[in-house]
Amino acid sequence: MITFRKPIEGVERPQMPADVVIVGGGPAGMACALRLAQLIDEHNNAHPDAQLSKENIYVLEKAREVGQHCLSGALLDPRAIAELLPDFKKDAPLDAEVTKEAVYFFTEKSKFKFPITPPFLRDHGNYVISLNKFVKWMGSKVEQAGVTIFTGFAGSELLYDGDRVNGVRTDDKGVDKEGHQKSNFEPGYDLQAKVVILAEGPRGSLTKQLVQKFDLAKNANPQTYGVGVKELWEVPAGRIAAGEVIYTMGWPLTTREYGGAWIYGSPGHGTTDNIVSLGFVTGLDYADPRLDPQRVLQQFKKHPFVAKLLEGGKMIRYGAKSMPYGGWWAIPPVAGDGWMLIGDTAGFLNSARLKGIHLAIKSGMLAAETAFHALMKNDSSAATLGDFQKTVDSSWIKEELWKYRNLHQGFEHGMLAGMFHTGLQMITGGRGLRNRYTGVAGYERMKKLSQLPADGGAEAHLLGPAKGDGKLTFDKLTDLYHSGTKHEEDQPAHLVIHDTNVCNERCVKEYGSPCQNFCPANVYEMVDDSSQPNGKRISLNPSNCVHCKTCDIQDPYQIITWVPPEGGGGPNYDGM
Amino acid sequence: MPDTILVVVEQREGKLNRVSWETITAGQAIAAATGWTLEAAVVGAAAAAPEVAAKKVAKVYAIESARLNPYTPDAFAAALKQFLSSKPPKLILMPHTYQVRDFVPKLATAMGRTVISDCIGFKHESGKLLFTRQMFQGKLAADVSFSSDAPWFATFQNGAFRGDKAEEGASAAAVETVNVDIADGVIRNNPQEIFKEAKQAVDLTQAEVIVAVGRGIKEQKNIEIAKQLADALGGDLAASRPICDSGWLPMDRQIGSSGQTVAPKLYLALGISGAIQHIVGMKGSRTIIAVNKDSEAPIFELADYAVVGNLFDIVPPLIEEVKKAKAGS
Repeated sequence: MITFRKPIEGVERPQMPADVVIVGGGPAGMACALRLAQLIDEHNNAHPDAQLSKENIYVLEKAREVGQHCLSGALLDPRAIAELLPDFKKDAPLDAEVTKEAVYFFTEKSKFKFPITPPFLRDHGNYVISLNKFVKWMGSKVEQAGVTIFTGFAGSELLYDGDRVNGVRTDDKGVDKEGHQKSNFEPGYDLQAKVVILAEGPRGSLTKQLVQKFDLAKNANPQTYGVGVKELWEVPAGRIAAGEVIYTMGWPLTTREYGGAWIYGSPGHGTTDNIVSLGFVTGLDYADPRLDPQRVLQQFKKHPFVAKLLEGGKMIRYGAKSMPYGGWWAIPPVAGDGWMLIGDTAGFLNSARLKGIHLAIKSGMLAAETAFHALMKNDSSAATLGDFQKTVDSSWIKEELWKYRNLHQGFEHGMLAGMFHTGLQMITGGRGLRNRYTGVAGYERMKKLSQLPADGGAEAHLLGPAKGDGKLTFDKLTDLYHSGTKHEEDQPAHLVIHDTNVCNERCVKEYGSPCQNFCPANVYEMVDDSSQPNGKRISLNPSNCVHCKTCDIQDPYQIITWVPPEGGGGPNYDGM
Repeated sequence: MPDTILVVVEQREGKLNRVSWETITAGQAIAAATGWTLEAAVVGAAAAAPEVAAKKVAKVYAIESARLNPYTPDAFAAALKQFLSSKPPKLILMPHTYQVRDFVPKLATAMGRTVISDCIGFKHESGKLLFTRQMFQGKLAADVSFSSDAPWFATFQNGAFRGDKAEEGASAAAVETVNVDIADGVIRNNPQEIFKEAKQAVDLTQAEVIVAVGRGIKEQKNIEIAKQLADALGGDLAASRPICDSGWLPMDRQIGSSGQTVAPKLYLALGISGAIQHIVGMKGSRTIIAVNKDSEAPIFELADYAVVGNLFDIVPPLIEEVKKAKAGS
């Protein structure tokens, strides 16, 4: 019997008043905190007799250290950070300026280079960065500016006063596997905040609660996602230049799956080696439940071009994270009574350019401006916070996302149709055949095993766990070891499965337990159990979790809810 | 006067922790490379000093105070600080145990110095002493040197050196008792009685022989034959993670990245595939014998002796042979 994590009932919780609570210390949350501090400092300098305090602004970050859960390729469009910190180039950790980019279409053994790089993939003026290092740097700016970051604290529930969000409850610490209090039990704090800003990253758990409670998504397209599986490699010098950017499409995916790879070169650590960031993003709308995104990455590396690049190199880090592909039409309302949504949790990601960091930062800055006005007016109702919706609509966030508003939806019927629609959209300012293409949630496109060829057909090489040769390719457990993920072992399972009978009785037969495949971290396992009708039972290894949220997104019955485990646990994405 | 290396050995309730011999081996190796003098110290257990003095060390100090028993980090840090201030060695070595982790940061900070911790080796190049540490979960190693003044503190990982390679001295070294003063109010915690969480809790790090089982054991009841083999060999039973997760053996028997790290004389892996998470917990073992019916199991890359076969066919006769051999000798 698995005990699932939920807030302990019947305990008295410490109450802490706050002005603004930002849940999530990624690029959006940090930008928001920093901008808010800047606005307050400006105000205080101009009004020495009517000072606003920064002491009651808090950033909650579930990782043990700032940046530890941040993972991305990444390429930074400096547009937003230049607005936030005009002299960012002086000390921001920018690994390399992009020097050249290439887009390839891969077949199993060969490749074709696109003669012209599509405009949305041109990267001149952008930088190769490690998001982990970049966010660490932003965090130091936030703390210098006088805002407190609580690391090791997760937001586990929103607090309400009727239909108003009026605070955040943090995670209960010291709860054992059976849900009982241990000797080091500490109930979560109730932070009573005037403004709550959710910056949880893709598929945020509080955001999910909020959207469900107020049916916020009713007028939006369902959000769709991809999962990026990444490895960081050290390779001998001369293989790739620092600042070299490569994108690939095609193999190992077929025309039916959405996704592609990135390869970015960074300088090595003062040796003659280079650091290569490479990864594969698989759209979470594939048909075969046996598809394994970590295996897709291993297959990709077997391509002669990639194998040659990596030969003799060493894999030093692994990780995975989902990303929102739905674009403009999938963004729900971003402000309401007492709350705002920023960054990936709202869906501010440009899936054509494969970039979201600049949009996360800009959205954080705009939300900070609205929060500042709310504090000045002492009014954080929907009427005041609704300004954020308006400033987003009239900013370059909308300008940029509007052009690509139908891009991902165009791929719903495969790559060729997608390329047709994209081409059309490019010459019609994003419109294509009609202003708004609707979309379907990715998990709905998963077929049952009975509808698929038993041997997997053309997708056979993507199905099931990767075996790995231990040098170029790796099995999931070996890869997972390099994510550095660690959790307090004795705690309830944070992957909340609402009805395990569905797993044991239905899913085994209908979909073949795809959780074992789509989770990049070996959290889900079906173990032998003769007492079950199908001889198998769902078993969890929650401490393997890398917090990517793929399970919450991709489970075909939508019975998995990911909630944050005890704060401090999770992957260690140093350098990612 | 050549510089001195001081090895601070570890004792628990008067008994030396066997990992201390590994630190002596390390100290002897560094002394040989640098030409420095090797000395050792025992804190709060003078009775254990003669055992240390039997090894090849120039001198042994028994640091004594009534306040060193029971162990508290404040007392140990204060006692060592006092001792080290009077005659500072160049380098102080300790094993990277829980107890050392408890007091050495405090001690080093109190002396305004730093610790290079959990080292797996050392190098002596161009007159410079470098300590090797692991990075990225063991994928890379980094050489670290001190840029501060002596005394330098370094701790070595369990299994990084061989305890049985510690050289014996030609004759017993001199033992000098050093009484230290620990003032009132220095000790801030009041330790209660030491207890073990589980009734039959075992410290696998002290075992010389370990028989470990993995998923290949198939059912809980089959663990019995592994236990019989462990008993016949005079060793302890251990397991990889899935066995403990299923509750077939208690968590204190788990070996691996989320369990214990061990380095026994003999490690017998039965039905263990050798996932990296398990390997990191036992790769320092002196001799590894693996039994697995999958010839491609990763454990065979590490094992000294690879037995490809069904453990249920191999273990029962093995138990008999071990018993016969023990009875005969």
